[in-house]
Amino acid sequence: MAQSLTHGETALPADWRDLFALTKPRVMSLVVFTALCGLLAAPGNVHPVLAFSSILAIALGAGASGALNQWYEAGLDAKMKRTAGRPLPAGRLDPQTALQFGVGLAAFSVFLMLFAANWQAAALLTVSILFYVFVYTMWLKPRTPQNIVIGGAAGAFPPLIGWVAATGSVAPLPVLLFLLIFLWTPPHFWALALFVRSDYAAAGIPMMPVVAGETSTRRQILFYALIMAASAIAPWPLGYTGALYGWAAVVLSAVFVLLSVQVGTRRTGEGDGMRPEKRLFAYSIAYLFILFGAVVADHWWPL
Amino acid sequence: MTDETPPEQPPFDEAEYRRRQRSRANLMGWILGGLAFLFFFITMARMVVPK
Repeated sequence: MAQSLTHGETALPADWRDLFALTKPRVMSLVVFTALCGLLAAPGNVHPVLAFSSILAIALGAGASGALNQWYEAGLDAKMKRTAGRPLPAGRLDPQTALQFGVGLAAFSVFLMLFAANWQAAALLTVSILFYVFVYTMWLKPRTPQNIVIGGAAGAFPPLIGWVAATGSVAPLPVLLFLLIFLWTPPHFWALALFVRSDYAAAGIPMMPVVAGETSTRRQILFYALIMAASAIAPWPLGYTGALYGWAAVVLSAVFVLLSVQVGTRRTGEGDGMRPEKRLFAYSIAYLFILFGAVVADHWWPL
Repeated sequence: MTDETPPEQPPFDEAEYRRRQRSRANLMGWILGGLAFLFFFITMARMVVPK
């Protein structure tokens, strides 16, 4: 069994709470919810046990990705206030344990998906884990300010995997939902990056506000918010969803764009509280939850 | 010449060691039991769901 907190010759076993924290449970909640919505919006009925197992596999896959991300970034996390308290930089867990836990969980999640659903969903889950760990964490994040633009694809997989777990095939609606999360990621992360900019700068991570500056980041938040709103509304005129989803998308996206205009057009000085940025960040999370809830509601009660 | 003494380490807490070992063993037991049930029910579900 893996061990941590070495004390001379003897070591304390890792605490399960630290292993749980390694899976980024808060991020996992959004992953689980969007995956569940993808699965529930798919045509046909899925056996509840198989649906539960598929969602569990996606959750474990996301947890494994989070653990491997924290294992790789332990050194960077130690330099940022926001992440310095995580189990690895705080010294409550040793890297070997985190690596073994992440790899084991990833392998198990794919096996569970293969057993409970189909090989297509298992293959997509594998691709999403590998993409998050190798493409986003190891390759893009330390190299380019476009890291979260391309890396956003990793977080966009869950509704697609949920749909494929239910049907065994890809369809236009889950691809549009993939596109929606993909385009939602830049304004969501850059709003956060604006108010924790000094943290990213201290860790040497080339986030957009650090490399391109605040003004350019604000303009790009607005740009991505506009095309995200268009992609959020698109399933309605294209005939893949009904009016219930359509109106929800119109209203929620309009608010998103308004908040992005506030962020995109303002200048900040010393000691600015960054309230519009924090508001946009918080709203962006609620936006995705409600919009995906509307996809399912629209599927169950079409207007 | 000065004697170099290694930095003092806190005493090894055997009670904490045992507590963590017990808590992990319990958790592992619950997880393995849960998985046994889960895999049983998945097998049953796959038998009733037509291909």
